[in-house]
Amino acid sequence: MTLTQLACRNVLRNRRTYAAYFLSSSFSVTVFYVCALFLFHPVIQSGATYDGALQALVAAEGIVYLFALLFVLYSVSSFLRSRTQEFGVLLMHGMTRRQLYRMVFLENMLIGLGAILTGIVAGLLTGKLFLMIGASFLDVESLAFYVDWRVLALTVSSFVLLFLTISAVTSLLLRKGKLIELLQAGQRTKAVPEASWRLTAAALALILISYALAATATVNSIYVRVVPVTVMTVVGTYLFYTHAVLALTAMLKRNKKTYWDRTNMIAIAGLAHRLKDHSRMFFMVTIISSVAFCSVGFFASVTTFSDDLAADYPAAIAYVAKSGYDGSTELQAIESELELMSLPYEKWSMPIQYAAFHTTTSPDTVLPLIAYSDYVRVMLISGQGPPAPLLEGNDALVMLGSQRDRTLLDVRPMQTYAMSAASIELREIGYTSAVIVPDHLVANDDVPGNGEFSGLVVSDSIMKELHNEHQMEKYTGYYVSNLALTSGVAAELAAEGLIRHSEEQSYALAISGTLFDVRSSLYSTMLFIALLIGFVFFVAAGSFLYFRLYAELAYDRRQYQMLAHIGLTERELRRIVTRQVAWLFFGPFGLAILHSVFAFMALQQLFYLSIAARLGSVLAGFVLAQGLYFLFIRNRYWRHIRKSWR
Amino acid sequence: MALVEISNLSKVYESHLAHRALDNLRLEVESGEFVGIMGPSGSGKTTLLNAIATIDEPTSGHIRIAGLDPLSMDKDEMALFRRRQLGFVFQQYNLLDSLTIAENIILPLSLDGLPVREMEQRLSAVADKLGITSLLSRRIYEISGGQRQRVAIARAIIHRPALILADEPTGNLDSKSSRDVMETFAALHASERTTILMVTHDAVAASFCSRVVFIKDGRLYNDMYQGGQRQAFFQKIIDMLSLLGGDSHDLNSARLP
Repeated sequence: MTLTQLACRNVLRNRRTYAAYFLSSSFSVTVFYVCALFLFHPVIQSGATYDGALQALVAAEGIVYLFALLFVLYSVSSFLRSRTQEFGVLLMHGMTRRQLYRMVFLENMLIGLGAILTGIVAGLLTGKLFLMIGASFLDVESLAFYVDWRVLALTVSSFVLLFLTISAVTSLLLRKGKLIELLQAGQRTKAVPEASWRLTAAALALILISYALAATATVNSIYVRVVPVTVMTVVGTYLFYTHAVLALTAMLKRNKKTYWDRTNMIAIAGLAHRLKDHSRMFFMVTIISSVAFCSVGFFASVTTFSDDLAADYPAAIAYVAKSGYDGSTELQAIESELELMSLPYEKWSMPIQYAAFHTTTSPDTVLPLIAYSDYVRVMLISGQGPPAPLLEGNDALVMLGSQRDRTLLDVRPMQTYAMSAASIELREIGYTSAVIVPDHLVANDDVPGNGEFSGLVVSDSIMKELHNEHQMEKYTGYYVSNLALTSGVAAELAAEGLIRHSEEQSYALAISGTLFDVRSSLYSTMLFIALLIGFVFFVAAGSFLYFRLYAELAYDRRQYQMLAHIGLTERELRRIVTRQVAWLFFGPFGLAILHSVFAFMALQQLFYLSIAARLGSVLAGFVLAQGLYFLFIRNRYWRHIRKSWR
Repeated sequence: MALVEISNLSKVYESHLAHRALDNLRLEVESGEFVGIMGPSGSGKTTLLNAIATIDEPTSGHIRIAGLDPLSMDKDEMALFRRRQLGFVFQQYNLLDSLTIAENIILPLSLDGLPVREMEQRLSAVADKLGITSLLSRRIYEISGGQRQRVAIARAIIHRPALILADEPTGNLDSKSSRDVMETFAALHASERTTILMVTHDAVAASFCSRVVFIKDGRLYNDMYQGGQRQAFFQKIIDMLSLLGGDSHDLNSARLP
């Protein structure tokens, strides 16, 4: 038997333990391949998608690769640890260290190459399916199936490099330990680490404070809090698994009435044992799952922005001619196009007056102003009913620039403005009840924490007083009954549906229908990618658990066999096994869900609409997937355990 | 009526070469007896013990233990039968290392849902009797092999089973620990009239029994009683073993008293 044969046999005969690791590696390869397939696809390369999709795909590719690197590194090192005794036997029988490194290297490369091959074959087979799903997400007509050597080369070379690096690194991991220590590894002679009460308290405090901070975050504080809260949660979770859980089980054990009751003792003690040995694994699974939930949840919520869009852009087409430009060419083009489509519309034009003020917070601000009568008019035309507060004298209403601004309404103080030139003082008394002019169509200085409000509505008399031809722009809005119908209108003026005021054009323009299409395709691209990556994370977390379970199968079998001998019924054993596997699967998973729920509570502050329904369905989807995975693994595991005494 | 009645017990292992491990074996164990089962390797000792323990199913024959017929039970009833009527002591101790010594000992009681107070009373009584009270809060890996086997005995007797089955209880122990464990068994037998059935290779261990049964080729070959003189009994066992033609390792000179 040559060394190569020995390596091959080691892998093939341990296939059950290697299975999850092998499959997750293959899965990473497949996802990487699919991402590359999108990246290099001629249709996408030619720019058929809107901005951002390509960058998002590149980012996804990077994340998958980085994650695969970490995942493989961790899996390999834990495999090696579980085989320490075997290595000790080999060394004792005269294998040199060099040969051992070579054997481990060969084994890793064997699994790595196998995973690459399997992953690519799976990628080739399912490529068309992913392209079809992707096409509908990316809002492209259809993406033809293709095999490109560049995609294959990128995937193969990336992962060969990955496995080579890791195989080389793992040889270093082996470079320690005396022979006697290697041989005695695996015997459970470790003393039970005492849980430190101080660290337990610290863990609980860190997690609870993070939760409290996340739950009470406001739109202003969220950006300040996000980093410390994340760090505190990660540290808290680590301490939770290394100390708090031990303390909790110790507490549980002290209550003899429950602990000594029937099968509880075996189940709880077994769990405590597992937790103690694998606290780091539980920690990783929790963090990875939380990241998966949060990213998918975030991208699922982002799409609520497109629900806001109709409210953000009440006019189907909004046009602003900057001062010194009359804009008649664009308006004519738009109108003739609308007529050609025989789309009935209502049109409203009004002046936007710019005037300089100093406020309590900033010395010189140029604010866009519109007249109250125009405000009333736009509200009626856009079908949002007559506005509530009546405006008199020096009172002013702040114009919402978008629905996002609504999250600020509670925290933003009312301001007063002193006119720099004349002796006029404007006083904010409230907000417009809807968006009148979208914030991208006016020039507004972005005051931090102040939102991107579009300006002020002032009374007609003040408007008249401030009249200044040189600082006046003209807004024209076209209102139709169904915004979506205007998709693609005036494409030669604004291909992506939006010309911002800040751009070097003599006009600003927003076409709601086109904007709607652009945004929804961008968001669904991100959602697609988030789902893909979330799924990779999810599968990896599951495979850690699977690996743990099977690495200890032999040991568990002996224990359960012994229990069967001293008279445990099959039902009782099945209950113990189910409970232990359930703890393994749903403990870290549950904590990850709890983390995510609090993260989502903070996230909600950024959104005007409720995102609870979307996040609920994301979490429900994960719970369902985890439940199915649990049932599958539980049944397989139970079959293996049962074999041992029948 | 005997506590254990075995009649016409046969076990055939079906594989590509059928092997008859037990051949119409008859055995009766009276209540309060301490019976050792000896015989050369492959004679069917362990098969017999497993059949009595309801872990293995015989091909034919009858077993009655304490008036019950375990062979007619379904799997769950068998498990409950083992839990309540039998106590086990294994060569490998088979203690759960996730539990403390005390928790290992009360395992059979807690599985049956006894009140905590009663479990504690019985635990301290048993631990006292076996001299392991000081070990109770320790872990398995903190104590020696002989101590582990005494803990296993405590677990086997705490639920007051009708019969204790021991499978090579001294097989993993040095001679000093072996003697401790066998003295524990003998003391239990003397003071409580506990019925014990023990399979062993070790003539020294067997000499502690009140009766030793010899098995050869799946049949009962001979049995003999201790007459009160353990030293003489040991000599008789050695003679019988050499007559049986057991393997040389059955006579471990290191174990000679």
